Formats: sequence, structure tokens, C-alpha cells
Amino acid sequence: MKKKMNSLSRKIVFLITAVTLVSFLLIFNLFEKINKEAFYNIETEKAKLILSTIEPLIALNIYLNLNNRVEELTKQLITNPNILAVKVLQKNKIISEIKALEFESNVNDSFIVKNAIYQPNSKKEIGTLILTYSNKNYKELVDRYTTLLIKVLILFVIFFLIFSLYVKRLLSPLRKIAKLVRGYSPDQNINIPFDNQNNEIGFISHALNNMQQSITKYSEQQQNINKYLEEKVEEKTKELRHQLYTNALTGLPNRRSLLHDINYYENGALLIINIDDFKEINDFFGHSVGDNILISFAQKLSEIITKEHESTLVHLAGDEFALFFLQKPAKKEFINFINSLLKNIEKIIFTHENNELTIRVTIGATYQAIEALEKADIALKSAKKQGKDFLIYDETLNVEQQYKNNMEWTKKLNWAIENDKIQPFFQPIYDNKTNRIVSAECLIRLLDKDNKIISPYYFLTIAKKSKLYSKLTKIMIQKSCQYFEHLDCDFSINLSVEDILDIDIVNYISKSILQYNVANKIILELLETEEIENYEEVSSFIFEMKSLGCRIAIDDFGSGYSNFEYLLKLNIDYIKIDGSLIKNLETDKNTLIVVETIVDFAQKLNIKVIAEYVHNEGVYNKVKQLGIDRSQGFYLAEPRNALPLP
Amino acid sequence: MKKILFLYLTLINVAFGYHYDDIVLKAQASIFPKIILLDKKIQNKLIDGKIVYTIVYNKSDYNTALSIEKFINKNFQGSLDKYNYKVNLVEFEKFSIQTQASAVYVLNLSEHIEKIAKVASEKGIISFSYDINNLKKGLMFSLVIEKSTVLYLKKEILFATKIEFVDALLQMVRFVEADYIDKNNFDYQNKLNSRNYYAKYFMNQKK
Repeated sequence: MKKKMNSLSRKIVFLITAVTLVSFLLIFNLFEKINKEAFYNIETEKAKLILSTIEPLIALNIYLNLNNRVEELTKQLITNPNILAVKVLQKNKIISEIKALEFESNVNDSFIVKNAIYQPNSKKEIGTLILTYSNKNYKELVDRYTTLLIKVLILFVIFFLIFSLYVKRLLSPLRKIAKLVRGYSPDQNINIPFDNQNNEIGFISHALNNMQQSITKYSEQQQNINKYLEEKVEEKTKELRHQLYTNALTGLPNRRSLLHDINYYENGALLIINIDDFKEINDFFGHSVGDNILISFAQKLSEIITKEHESTLVHLAGDEFALFFLQKPAKKEFINFINSLLKNIEKIIFTHENNELTIRVTIGATYQAIEALEKADIALKSAKKQGKDFLIYDETLNVEQQYKNNMEWTKKLNWAIENDKIQPFFQPIYDNKTNRIVSAECLIRLLDKDNKIISPYYFLTIAKKSKLYSKLTKIMIQKSCQYFEHLDCDFSINLSVEDILDIDIVNYISKSILQYNVANKIILELLETEEIENYEEVSSFIFEMKSLGCRIAIDDFGSGYSNFEYLLKLNIDYIKIDGSLIKNLETDKNTLIVVETIVDFAQKLNIKVIAEYVHNEGVYNKVKQLGIDRSQGFYLAEPRNALPLP
Repeated sequence: MKKILFLYLTLINVAFGYHYDDIVLKAQASIFPKIILLDKKIQNKLIDGKIVYTIVYNKSDYNTALSIEKFINKNFQGSLDKYNYKVNLVEFEKFSIQTQASAVYVLNLSEHIEKIAKVASEKGIISFSYDINNLKKGLMFSLVIEKSTVLYLKKEILFATKIEFVDALLQMVRFVEADYIDKNNFDYQNKLNSRNYYAKYFMNQKK
């Protein structure tokens, strides 16, 4: 909708007219009031003047008792058209009264003036002279004055109409300029008129013309810049698109490109080629060599893949390549191709500093186009697990079911955490000399919706994968510390290396120990194998915990390559011998020797030894015979949600 | 009784002297004393704090003069406004510059008028004349009853005596030149048509 223009000229004229009109009306009213008063005063003064003129004569005649002359004088007075009546009183007695013919008709438009009559040459009052004076003159004056003002007002209106037209005419060039400029765009040249006028409009026109030139110039520059930028953007877009769909190292199409092809070609087949143990090449020769091998491998793969089948070689990531058949070949042909590919790859020899390197690959393949990448990946993982060179995806791989199980357990875990269904169960540890409970191991249990106790075997691995593990650790720490806060009994909690490496968990352990004041009761059990692999971090953790007053135990000692040197350095309080050694103690002589060695070693270092998995009397007796300090197992007591303390 | 006396005096006058118009006499006796008060410098003309109204008469007019005195006394009751007055009757022969007078009223005379006018002029006092014709001999005021009462003033005398009257008086009087009186030939008999007014007036006053 077109916006209605607010005319400046109209506004100026309107404002001037309004201000002047208001001023005029104010002055008009003021003048009218003043003038009316003045006119009235004039008439009053005239009447008074007549009175004061005639009064001495009348006074003299009254004084001289010439009342007939008084009568004459009043008759003379009444000849004045403005005098409607004259009355002369002597001592309140009318001695003369005369009224004009117009008296009755004009009496309402008149005023009365009185004058005292004084005796001549004396101040003695001898009578009163009353004059009824007509307002006719006053009205005539007011009428004339009003007529004059109305005429002035009309003239004023005419003058402002002319003035308004003149202002409109003066400013009309501005409208023309505005109309011209309204449709202006930098790519057109408009000629703004009135440039030659030597006034404000001329200046504006001149300035607009100059501005137009500047804008045109600037616009040209901008267009050049834009063109340049567009070219650059296009170039960069191409580059980015290339980067987006290409692996930077090998220059082959990348995963995104593959996904695009998979979605586009509905009847394709895919195989993923994974270089076995490529990490070792990187670790041994360095990443630079690894990258060169990948580049070289990509080239050689391209050469190997014949053009018989229309396919795309893709570099998925790191040591993983893929080959996508746009049109799937016959299955037999597909399998033959894979076998042939494997043989050819085995033949490839890479050289580095006079060293010859060969690689092996595992291939996961799928003959199904839908979710081809995922299926080929499953097949690859299955092949790896099964130690096969290649596997073609098959529903029987049951991998999907495993994923489903994992998902369900993750869900259950989340539910259990939210509903406080993660509980510590306590398995007593007995002193072999006193046969009394001296400690308890806190073991994690999950209660399902039916409050059925679930073993950690089912959910602990999944917890680690789904990153719920730290939450479980925290729950265990908090609940265990709270349970033993007021019990006179030691307790042990299992910690994995993930816990120790997690600063948040370490801080939480410290905080809980201090909060529940259980530093002298708690024993932190660490896995022997994990310790050794992350010695520095574990050592630092043990130092920190021992400074709080905690004790440290090595769990499952003897399950791996037991490193006594590390054991010495870590300042351990307890060794818990791995259950696989204890449970065979009765039957396996070698196991017995190992356990005897561990016990002997520990005793010499004043480290207490605990035997777990004590599942029958025989084992229990053997443990006692070997001088193991403490025992734990189903033979002695199962894990319960409460400790059977006396 | 008063009427009889008045009639007697009139008859005496008719028999022995000038015939005076009683109406005019009374009108003059009513107005002339008042005119004295219209002199702006009346204080200068007081004698012993009084206004002395001197009536100059012929021997034969004594009774007329006396009746005028009585009329004045009766009319003004001894005071003119705030001033006391005294009516002084003086014969022509006795009137001189030494005669006490704040104003002089001259009854009709055939001679000596100029002398009286001269004395009045010298004394700077107002002079009233019964007869307007005497104004040409140097007297100042006279009063004639025409359609209405007319007060005549001799302009030359006014200038000569330098008496200052209230302005209104000068507005209401009729000024006379020396030849004015002759031209108009004032005849009282012809002016009687306005006497009814005064007759009524005086009758009312008596009541």
C-alpha cells in the first residue's frame, strides 16, 4: 500500500497559519475586551463631559431660582441624540425632567450618569443631575470594530491561502526530485533537474547528482568485488566438496561419498577391506611410514581392481578401505573376486629403508544393498573374531541380536540407577586363625523390576561400553561407605583401572571416605594386570589413598604375569590370590607351588594374603595349611545384602 | 395688614415717585444678593465680615427701598450662604466712596447714576440697576423679565471693575453693549407676559 505523503509545505503553512490564527484570536479577544471597555469609557466620559459642562449652568440657575431656565437647559440637552432623558433634582425633588421620544424604545440600551450639582462658588451640594445616555454610539463603535476585525481575518485567510500556494509552488521541485529518486537503483543514471537553481533545491539536486555518481562508482567497484568473491566462493566450494567427499591422504572417495553411492544405487554390493594389525606398523615404523603404506596400498588396490565390474574404491578411515559394486555381480563371482583380491593383496610388497613389508587384510562383505555399510562392518568384525580372511554378511551371524541385548541391558541399567536398584552385597572375609569375620568384600548387584538379584556378569561389560560404569562405581562407593560408617568392620571395594584414571571418580572416593570417616576401614582392591599396564597412574592413586589412611589390595593376583617388582614399589597391604588358583588347590600340584611361592613372598614383605573362591572344606583346610591369612568363598558365606555381624 | 401697607406704599409711589414694577423689584431682590456670592473674591469685599448690600435711592423712593430691605431680610433671614449680610439704605446725595458697600443696588434715578457707577467702579464692587437703561451709564447688572428672566451685564464695566465671577454666570448672562439698550428700547409694559410665573413664585414664597 502506498504510504500517504506528509507534505512539508502543507505542514509549514498549516503551522504558521495555526500559530498566527491562535495569536490573532488571542489578540482579537484581548483587543475586543480592551476596546469595548475603552468604547464604553469613551461614551461614559462623553456623558460625564456633558454633565460637567452643563452642571455649572444648571447649578447657577437653581441657585438663582431660575427654574424655568433650568427647564430650557434640559430641553437643550435632550436635543443631543445620545441623551435619552435628563432629570434635575433639588433636594431630592424633581425640578425638571425630560425624556426623548426614543426613550422608551432605547431605555434598555442605555446607561445612567449622575452628577452632583454644587452651588456656584461653593462646595455645597444643591441638587443632582441625572442623565440617561444611549448606548447607540457604543454599539456602533463595537460593530464597526468587529466588522473591521472580520475583514482583517478574511484578508488574513486569503493571504495565507496565497502564501500556502506559494510555499507549495516553492517546494514542488522537492516532490519531483523525490519522485525521480524513489525508483533509483545504482545501475541506472537519472538526471535530477533544478541543478542550476541558485537556492537550497539547487544545492540538493547538485548534491544528489554528485551522490549518484559516487554510488555508481562504488556500485561498479562492489560488482567487481562481488564477481571476484563469487569466483572464489565457487572455487572454494569445489575444493570443500572435494574435501567433503574425498579422503585427504589417499585422494580416494571417503565414507560420505560411499554412503551417497549406497543410497543412490539400490542394487549394489559392498566389501570392507581392513588391514590387519596396522597399528603395529604405525607404532613400529611411525605414522609417516604408515601413511605412505596407506597411499601405496590405495594405488595398488586401484590397480588390482579390474574394470570388469563397475565399482568405486573408497578409503573409509585409517586402515579401512571399501569397494562398492554399483551393480552386484553373481554371488559366486563375488566370492571369487574376494578370494582373488585377498591373494593379490598378499602379494603386494612395500619397501621401507631396504625393509620389505607385507600386509594381510580381513574382508567383510555384504551382498545386500540395504544398510550395506553396517552389514559389511558386522561381517568384518565377525571375520576378525573368528580369525577368517573374509565373511559375507549373513543373518545367522546373530550380531544384531547381540546389539539388541546390549541395548536392553543399557536400558535396564539406566532404569536401575534411576530407581535405586543398584545395591552392594557383602561377602564376609574370615580370619583363618580366629574364624571370625574381619572384613567384607562389597560386590555389585542389580535388582530387576521383580527384585530378582542380577549378577554383574550380565551388565558390567555393557556398563563399561555404555559409559554407565562410573555411575555404578559412585553408587557402590557411596552406599558401601555409608553402610560401614558405623560398623566396626573392614570392607573392600573393587576398582577398575577406568575408575583410577577418572579424576572425577578419584575425587569422589576421597570425598566419600572423608564424609563417612571410613579411611581406616576401607580396602581398595585393584586388578594386578591393569595396574602394571598403567603403573604411573595407579602408583599416584595408591599414594593419594594411602595418605588418607586407606589400605590397598591386589585382586586376582597370580592370574597374569605376576610382577613382584611392581608389587614391591606399590606398597601393597593385601594380596588376594586369584580364584582360579585357589579352586584347584586340592588337585593341582603346580598351582599349589605357585600359591606357596606367593604366600611366602607376601609373608616376607608383611603383606596379608587372602584366598577367594574357597568353595569347600578341603580347599579351606588347604588354605589354612598354607598359612593364608584370610579366606572368602561360598563355603564360608555367600554375598548378602547385609553382613551377619554378631 | 401687610397687603394694605404694600398697597399704601405703592400708591404713595404712584403719587409721588417713579413707578416701580413690583414683580421686577422682587425678582431683583431675590437674585441680586445671590449674584454677590458669585464673585470669586467676595472675601475682599466683606465689611466687618459681612456683606453690605447698599440700596441707593431717591428720597421719594425711600419706601420702595425700605420694602426691598424688608423683602431681602425676609427672604434671606440675615445670611447669604455662610456670610451675614446687612442691607444699607443710602440716599443718592449721601452715597460716596466712603459709603460702606460690598455691592450697590441703584433704584431708578434721573441723575447721579454716573457718579454712583464711578464710585462702584472705584470700589471694585458690583453694581445692580433696577432699570436696564442705566447700564449705559456705567452700572453693571440689571434684570429684565421677558419670556423668562434675563440677567444683563454690561461688558465694559465687567472689564473695568476686574471682578471675577464664576464662569457659569458669564455663560448665562446676556451681555449688553452701550447701544444695545437703545436699540431694544426696553419697555416693561410689554414684558408683562412672563410675570405670571414670578407672581406665582412669590405668592408661593409668601405662603
